[in-house]
Amino acid sequence: MSGSTKTFVKGVKVSEHHGAGEWKAERLSSLILVPLTIWGLWSAATLAGGGYDGALIWFQSPVNAVLLALTLLASLWHMNMGLKVIVDDYIHKPSTRGALLALIAIVCLVLAFASVFLIVRLALGSAPLPAGFGA
Amino acid sequence: MTSPLPVSGDDQSDRTVLQPNGRPRPLSPHLQVWRWHVTMAASILHRISGSALSAGAVLVGIWLLALAFGPEAYATFTGLSASPLGLLVWFGLTLALTYHLVSGIRHLVWDTGAGLEPKMASLLSSLSIWIGLLAGVGFWVWLFVSGSVSL
Repeated sequence: MSGSTKTFVKGVKVSEHHGAGEWKAERLSSLILVPLTIWGLWSAATLAGGGYDGALIWFQSPVNAVLLALTLLASLWHMNMGLKVIVDDYIHKPSTRGALLALIAIVCLVLAFASVFLIVRLALGSAPLPAGFGA
Repeated sequence: MTSPLPVSGDDQSDRTVLQPNGRPRPLSPHLQVWRWHVTMAASILHRISGSALSAGAVLVGIWLLALAFGPEAYATFTGLSASPLGLLVWFGLTLALTYHLVSGIRHLVWDTGAGLEPKMASLLSSLSIWIGLLAGVGFWVWLFVSGSVSL
């Protein structure tokens, strides 16, 4: 920490570490999610009560499939950052904190890969699972 | 010679620490000492709703999984979702989403440096709570009125 050169912009000290990058990433993901969330609510209302066939028809639209994938990926990115801040605030023991952050990152990554995989299958009109997996 | 320092028990917090000179000194007020304010409530609600939405993301993943596994799996999923408990969970998640969305926009406004004067900050916090609540309830009124969902 000592000996680091402090730089100021308009009288405000510039972050010496990675804080500014995290701050910007949180805001960028928020800005992306504002329109996507409104679209998501509208889509949820369209899908509600539509049953299995209605959902499959909805997925045949590439716009829906792409926007849903984008919404989920941006949400999981945002979720990972949000949960990290909560853990950073309340968990001080380095080993526990590291383990929790790793667990959160793994859950988000698994959800991201699984969601994209399932959305692609549904968009392509694939036969219901476990087709292609030994059945 | 009177001491300007409060003795133990005089301060409202009842939390004191003994200084090296033997005098008690009050600790800084902790959470239970602060009077509740709307900016504080809105901030805490933002974090709680965000945490709830993490569970919501997992549920959306389960929805995709049920849909990909075919009509029977999907019927099980929609059956559970349409049960009274299921509807309550989705309603709660809707409120968390509409509040977190509106409150998130409030934070983006604050990040520009605007609206941080005490009165404006309180007004924006109250507005976030009311608009978030109304949007969430309105969404479900719409679902019931349009017939997409029924009890």
